[in-house]
Amino acid sequence: MLAIDHVSKSFGATRAVDDVSLTIERGEVVGLVGENGAGKTTLMRIVAGELTADSGTITARTGEGAGAPLRIGFVHQHFMLVSDFTIAENLALATGARPRDAEAIIERSGIELRDVNRRARDLAVGEKSKLELIKAIARKPELLILDEPTSVLTPYESDELFRVMRRIASEGTAIVFISHKVREVVEVATRVAVMRRGRVVVESSKMNAEELATAMVESPRGDFGRSVESRTGEIVAIVGVAGNGQRELADQLLREHPRTRLGFIPEDRTRDGLVAEMTIAENVALIADDWRAATRHTPALIEQYAIRAEGASQLAGALSGGNQQKVILAREIDRAPELIVAAEPTRGLDIEATRFVHEQLRRAANRGAKIMLITSDLDEAFDLADTIQVIYRGKLSERMTPGDASSRVAALMAGVA
Amino acid sequence: MKRALAAVAASIALLWIVGITSGHPDLLRILASGSIGSTFAIEGTLLKSVPLLLTGLAVVVAFRAGVWNIGGEGQFIAGALAAFIAAPLGVVIAILASMLAGALWASIASLMRVWRNAPEVLTTILLNFIGIELLGYCVNGPLQEEGGRYPESDTVAASLPQLGVLHAGIALAVIAAIAAWWLIYRTKEGLRLRATGFNPSAAHYAGISVNAQIARAMAISGGVAGLAGGIELLGVTHRLFERFAAGYGYSGIAVALLAQLHPLATIAAAAFFGALVTGAGELQRAANISSSVATFGQAIVILLLIMRRKTT
Amino acid sequence: MIELAIIATLPLLLAVEGELIVQRAGMINLGIEGMLLTAALTTVLFGFAGGIAGALLIALLFGFFTIRVGADQIVIGTAINLFALGITGFIYREWNAQIVGVTSNINSTAIAIAAWIVIPIALALMLWRTNFGLRLRACGENPEAVRASGHSVAMLRWSALIIEALLVGTAGAALARTGFAENMSAGRGYIALSIVIFGRWKVKGVLLGSALFGAAAVVQYALQAASRGVQFHLLLAVPYVVTLLILCGIAGRVRAPEALGKS
Repeated sequence: MLAIDHVSKSFGATRAVDDVSLTIERGEVVGLVGENGAGKTTLMRIVAGELTADSGTITARTGEGAGAPLRIGFVHQHFMLVSDFTIAENLALATGARPRDAEAIIERSGIELRDVNRRARDLAVGEKSKLELIKAIARKPELLILDEPTSVLTPYESDELFRVMRRIASEGTAIVFISHKVREVVEVATRVAVMRRGRVVVESSKMNAEELATAMVESPRGDFGRSVESRTGEIVAIVGVAGNGQRELADQLLREHPRTRLGFIPEDRTRDGLVAEMTIAENVALIADDWRAATRHTPALIEQYAIRAEGASQLAGALSGGNQQKVILAREIDRAPELIVAAEPTRGLDIEATRFVHEQLRRAANRGAKIMLITSDLDEAFDLADTIQVIYRGKLSERMTPGDASSRVAALMAGVA
Repeated sequence: MKRALAAVAASIALLWIVGITSGHPDLLRILASGSIGSTFAIEGTLLKSVPLLLTGLAVVVAFRAGVWNIGGEGQFIAGALAAFIAAPLGVVIAILASMLAGALWASIASLMRVWRNAPEVLTTILLNFIGIELLGYCVNGPLQEEGGRYPESDTVAASLPQLGVLHAGIALAVIAAIAAWWLIYRTKEGLRLRATGFNPSAAHYAGISVNAQIARAMAISGGVAGLAGGIELLGVTHRLFERFAAGYGYSGIAVALLAQLHPLATIAAAAFFGALVTGAGELQRAANISSSVATFGQAIVILLLIMRRKTT
Repeated sequence: MIELAIIATLPLLLAVEGELIVQRAGMINLGIEGMLLTAALTTVLFGFAGGIAGALLIALLFGFFTIRVGADQIVIGTAINLFALGITGFIYREWNAQIVGVTSNINSTAIAIAAWIVIPIALALMLWRTNFGLRLRACGENPEAVRASGHSVAMLRWSALIIEALLVGTAGAALARTGFAENMSAGRGYIALSIVIFGRWKVKGVLLGSALFGAAAVVQYALQAASRGVQFHLLLAVPYVVTLLILCGIAGRVRAPEALGKS
């Protein structure tokens, strides 16, 4: 019914979707599995028409004759509800039906959601999720895309969802189920496609959970017989698929320590790290006690950290991503804090910049700092860490050495172990 | 800077067109002579520029921290009221009282924002109205002049040092602009204030308490607007009356925009609008053209400047 | 006396009704003050239709800069007020002869019935019982959700502005029933903003609020005429204080439309 043919899409230098070909037939439940950033959501957004592919084609054969566009329902990861509206009103907004028809619509969907006069903001998270699903189903889509639908559901609610999915599929709708929860995908999908770094690496209808988990996560390369550098500090890598509590962990660490004794490299450097409209020097001075000294010190920092900039008075927003990250590193590490929290510090950086960041972190550790490296990049984690922990659903695993972790990390990250 | 000059030029051009099409080809000439064509005119321009400078400055300071202070009217009145009441203690105390009162008046709005999430856009406007009624009450009641006939107060007990018509407030206003510039660009507080205005999230992660920063900015902003009211009372009107604030608070927005939110530039921006207002007064006297062309000019400047930049 | 009060409050009430729709759609139109003033003048010059046209012109200006250009609603609203003040003042002097003595000649009774009864019912029905009203309210709460449902937030907000212009145009006509004077809107537009908050963005609430504010104003004039009555200023301040308290959630819970003021 739907043929995705050699589709590619890049955002700037990043290849989000890399030459993907996939077919989806009526009545199938296709599980699209992979870590965050693997390209699953981007691919489906292209299918749904929200984004356009750079190359490749998507052909649909609908049951309604040539020329009719495929009816697609997309349940996004974050809610698109009007919190002040009732369930009935939210349905009316989405479907164009009248609010009083809401109960009928809900009944037809086969999903349980009682008392349509409750406001969306008073609903439990699971109920909001159901409402989004009902919204999508009500328009009788031929293809239904669910993006991480179970991330906020209890096991019971998930089972409910799977029942609905099977029923809809049996009625002829094709379903694409995006998830990084391997166990669930195995339970409900008729076919699974695993994506990694924008490509479909495996397609199968017969894999089990462990096999999928391993395929999903690139096994770390490198040998761990390297000589452990003697250092007074420690690098602890917290690895996990994005959305398992990393942000909350970072925020908690920030709350527990005074900012002046902490170095923080945020995940989102443009939003949480630098103030783009201020100069490099001002950004450096922002966290300093003595801002004048920090301003005077900035040119030295620029040189020391090899930041490619026109000078300390250049606006931070004008720098490249890599150089912005260097500025953040410089100002945080230079203060020699006891603890450094680095969240996805090499995201979006090229090889050279990545190597530089790693070098700086190592040096800081050698000088005695403790580094909490929160990352979803296993290569990075295994390269740098003395200790590895996996974060899943907000909980940390036991501490492991890289050697121990290498065989267990994939399963732990997928929640399978 | 180029944008600002272009906006000024365009508004002058528009006024010229208005003049030509309405049968007043000498509109611009009268505006010019009425604002800078004589000592009298220049004095008038200077006097009118002072409150505009300060209310504009108030908007600038608050906006740098990312907050809308449209409560300039109310803070202006609060400052004038406080100055009047404190005047028997001397002009210096009166000036200080005006700043304090303005700061407190503005802080009502910022506290409401911090504690109860009340949007300062709405609370500051309401506080304007409350201030206007408070003034009305005072000049009709407890502060009314001896004879009890007019809705205005007695002469204020102190006044700013004067040189003819000009008063020391002019110097105070310029000093305030310089002080604001120094605060925003040359201190740690200013650095944090600007960071909060540009990117509250990054400011938060840099260890700044965004709420506290905004509250401080609002207080300073209110203090400057209050100072404007105090100076206007102690230097120009020497008594309180209804409609004392007369739109200075809102005109401050125009000044702030023309100054491209730069404290030192408010001096020039206020001078331009002060000239416009004074010249327009002459326009009305000499040629019976409504003085409201000045307000029209302010509006054009704002709209033109907005066209080129989308504010936050 | 009551009749006088009802008619005197018409401009305020109609303005409030217009601003209610617009705020429900997520916009703060400070320029309503200027809209009212402009409509009053154009009514005197060109009749009732002229009044509506004047209001529509202002709405066009506001909508262009806020919806199309995306500029800050507060700044544009302020600019519009200055603009209207300037232009109306100028025209008042230029065409003084055609203006002085001209009244708007409206049927006050008809408008009163419309404003106090028909329009509130119509607005309430529209907002709460039609899909259009639903989408409009959604624009004020979560524009993203509206876009996700395939509707145009821009078109919906333009519609709200046009409705406001029709109502405020009528308000201007009502205001000018005794003729036009410079700056005669006298802050009614800003007051209308307060009443929308006071009424917690609901039709019944704004009716009550308009009645209260209107009554307070009438009492003020009466007191002013009768004696030195100083208290009327404090009286007038009370509604604003109450509105402030409402914003703080003290006098009962209040929820502004969540997306109010944001694009």
